Amino acid sequence: MPVEIPKDTWSGSVCTVTLGATTAAGGTRSHTVTVGGHKTLPFMHFEQPMAHRPVIALEIRDRRPDDWSPLLLEVWGNAVDDPASWANAGEKAGADLLVLSLSLTGADGHPTTPEAAVAAVKAVLKASGLPLLVFAPGQADLDNQLLVPVAEATKGERLVLGICEDKNYRTIVATAMANGHLISTRTPMDVNLAKQLNILVRDMGIPADRILMDPTTGALGYGIEYGYSVMERLRLAALQGDGNTQSPMIVTPGAEAWKAKEAKVGQDVPAAWGDWRERAITWETLTAVALIESGADIVVLRHPESLRRVRVASDDLMAVPETI
Amino acid sequence: MTEHSVSFDIASEPVRVLTGALVIEAARLAGVDIQQPCGGQGRCGRCAVQVTEGSVRRRSTLRLSPEDIAAGYALACQSVVEGDVSIAVPPQEKIERRLTTERTAVEVTIPPGYSPAAQPMRRVALTLVPPDRQDQTDDWGRIQTALRQQTGIDAFQISLTLLRRIGAVLRADDWAVTALLEADTWDRPNGPARVVDLWPGHIPDDAPLWGIAVDIGTTTVTLWLVDLMTGAVRAQVAEYNGQIARGEDVISRIIYAGKDSGGLELRDLVLKTINTLIATACKRVQVDPANVIKAAVAGNSTMIHLLLGIPAESIRLAPFVTAVNHIPALQAGVIGLDIHPEATVDCLPGVASYVGADISAGVLSSGLDDAGPVTLFMDVGTNGETVMGNREWLVTCACSAGPAFEGAGVLHGMRATEGAIEEVWINGGTFEPTFRIIGGGKARGVCGSGLIALLAELFLTGVIDRSGNINLKLPTARVRRGEHGPEYVLVWGSETQDGHDIVITRVDIDNLLRAKAAIYAGFTVLAEKVGAPLETAEEVLIGGSFGKYINVEKAVEIGLLPDMPWDRFRFLGNTSVRGAYLALLDRTARARITDIAARMTYIELSADNTFYDAFTSALFLPHTDLARFPTVQAAVASNANASHKSGKGT
Repeated sequence: MPVEIPKDTWSGSVCTVTLGATTAAGGTRSHTVTVGGHKTLPFMHFEQPMAHRPVIALEIRDRRPDDWSPLLLEVWGNAVDDPASWANAGEKAGADLLVLSLSLTGADGHPTTPEAAVAAVKAVLKASGLPLLVFAPGQADLDNQLLVPVAEATKGERLVLGICEDKNYRTIVATAMANGHLISTRTPMDVNLAKQLNILVRDMGIPADRILMDPTTGALGYGIEYGYSVMERLRLAALQGDGNTQSPMIVTPGAEAWKAKEAKVGQDVPAAWGDWRERAITWETLTAVALIESGADIVVLRHPESLRRVRVASDDLMAVPETI
Repeated sequence: MTEHSVSFDIASEPVRVLTGALVIEAARLAGVDIQQPCGGQGRCGRCAVQVTEGSVRRRSTLRLSPEDIAAGYALACQSVVEGDVSIAVPPQEKIERRLTTERTAVEVTIPPGYSPAAQPMRRVALTLVPPDRQDQTDDWGRIQTALRQQTGIDAFQISLTLLRRIGAVLRADDWAVTALLEADTWDRPNGPARVVDLWPGHIPDDAPLWGIAVDIGTTTVTLWLVDLMTGAVRAQVAEYNGQIARGEDVISRIIYAGKDSGGLELRDLVLKTINTLIATACKRVQVDPANVIKAAVAGNSTMIHLLLGIPAESIRLAPFVTAVNHIPALQAGVIGLDIHPEATVDCLPGVASYVGADISAGVLSSGLDDAGPVTLFMDVGTNGETVMGNREWLVTCACSAGPAFEGAGVLHGMRATEGAIEEVWINGGTFEPTFRIIGGGKARGVCGSGLIALLAELFLTGVIDRSGNINLKLPTARVRRGEHGPEYVLVWGSETQDGHDIVITRVDIDNLLRAKAAIYAGFTVLAEKVGAPLETAEEVLIGGSFGKYINVEKAVEIGLLPDMPWDRFRFLGNTSVRGAYLALLDRTARARITDIAARMTYIELSADNTFYDAFTSALFLPHTDLARFPTVQAAVASNANASHKSGKGT
């Protein structure tokens, strides 16, 4: 007897957001990346084709990070001392997007200057043709001081500027709107808070197709199930037609996973935990893949091997079974 | 274009303006000063004028009733001159009075047909036959016989204290004596009657007989001094609960009470507050507090436990039970109230740990237990309790809102007394405020209704965003970074009583947002659990110590009250003290409170995370789900439009 697979139809859909602008569109990117547009839950190919596949961003820094795992520093080698070469290496490693995280301070211990931030962003843009996301260090005043000149110096590039939070979003949104960029919002793992920030930024007049949202997640074993559930509920609300939850979702499993004890502690502690490198990469990969399944449109990773493995997994998920 | 003549009753000469001019522009030309607190956006209704001849085109009639419009009223900032007109400018006070009708204050009315016989306290004048060799009946026996003859009551009780004085009293005025009798109490409905006191001589029948009704709120204690003979409330006083310094909410009070002598200290603090109020009220009407011979006390369960010195720990811990809900009739001397030591103190019954006597009393005074249609009753205080139902069913829940709406926990908050700012308007173009101060003098602080209005105005004029962030980039010195972070200066120091600026800080705004979110979440979750949407409530009754002054529109704008037609809301003031007052005056009312307490079904909000979700989504102006507040959305849009048009957008 043939089995009828029930299919859901939804009244809402996720916004389509295009990152980066090519020369023809007023930027300098070699190509653009488009995310979102979904009309059903992720990988439900039998209901609706996935409008755009989940993409992988690689996080790079404006200078050698002080707090990154030796495993990461080792794999990127000397590139970590120069954002341009790091960007280049990231593109070669197969990233779809680059996230440039600006440091709180320069190597001299003084707060990062706007000039240094602009220089780093420009160097990255020159070195790689990938669309770029620029995340400030996360201190309201400094973020605004850095992001405004960055936005102005890169007018028209459709960069993603982050991170907008409920206590600090006005300046970032205003400069993004004035200079043809996008924004990324972040709220601490709560559906309502995510909606609220979306309303706040849209109250300023930024169009929905320029907003990404980061609902925040935890690494595997550190609250991922809570983050997963929030993302799933956000996506369900989006599909049900709630306009304030329809932004594509970006999450940072790389940053989260590399904070986890399992990724941090080295060899033999305890011995049963096995090979350190393998364990750390597995942690990042599994965190990222789970989030992709919950609806993440962009996952931000740190290790090139994790990137490769997540790519394989998402390719598998994207493959439409022949039976359908 | 055509010119028209506009004459104002208070201007010497008519002025000429072109077709399409606003009345307010004509007034300016004529040198007539019409106040525009909202900056000419047609929001506040303060610029209403009366067109006495001719007519104007009204672009907006917000705040004008059909009767107003029929009488020729028009908003000067929203009315266009299209012909010759004569205009009368009403005095400002008259406008204010007209506008305040929407905030119906409930006066205390004596229950219709009140007779002192409805309550158990009575004076009986006795003229005794003095004892002699033939009649050697004892003094107490002599009194009982006389009382029996005069009242028809069989059995009487008397205290040892009174027995010690009985001989002297009887002989003080030649065996003429007045007995104060308590015929019954709620827990002794059929007697025996108690002789509470004996006074030498005869007291005139119409002399007042004093009782008090008390509401012990977590933040505010309210006391009414009542003449039981007429039922009239002769003095109303209120003060912050002295326990506030030991914790702002019931939970922290219970924890404090659990430490060492904390319970004793809290009992003393609240007794001191009540006793001070008794003294103040009695002084106002020149009564000796010892002549107050009955008290009815309402309050949440924790407050009543702390007053009586009963450990309240079990209220805080699962499964959340009180030591006692139905408290027997007690004597003032035992409790420590400075009234007649033998006076009965009737602590009204509560429903559960978090739904106390204040709510059973509140339901009684709101009449909810006798309502036909589904009605919502909410008591907005430090705890936000909601009762939904009608004469068939009553369901209730409680949540902690914090003391913000009572003016506590806010930097320049205060109770609604003289010097408190109770109403605020902010000009959408200049961000300058206009406010009204209780008593009309210099400002001392902002009370609950003022805080609600302030929050609404800050939001509508874009001084704060929906999350409560203050926009420090506005072109006004009133927004600034202060000692406590970003703030808005409501009154400059030069215009305040103590010379310091009155400000509202980001922290204050957060406290207000949390308070309103808790209350809104409470009743929405209750309605959801009952399965009766809020809209089914045909009437929304609001109690609370700020209830007398609250402005519905502002409360809806901040999302404290649901976006319903304004005429469904009715403000009842402090329903708890009013319920206690009714119980003091009438046995039937007292019995009804017991019945209400027994009938209410209590829903525990902490049982799952529905409340928390509802709370977070209400932690926004007016609410995360904007579709629930269509009229507020429209107001926000029209304001944004107005400030955009005047080129003042940011």
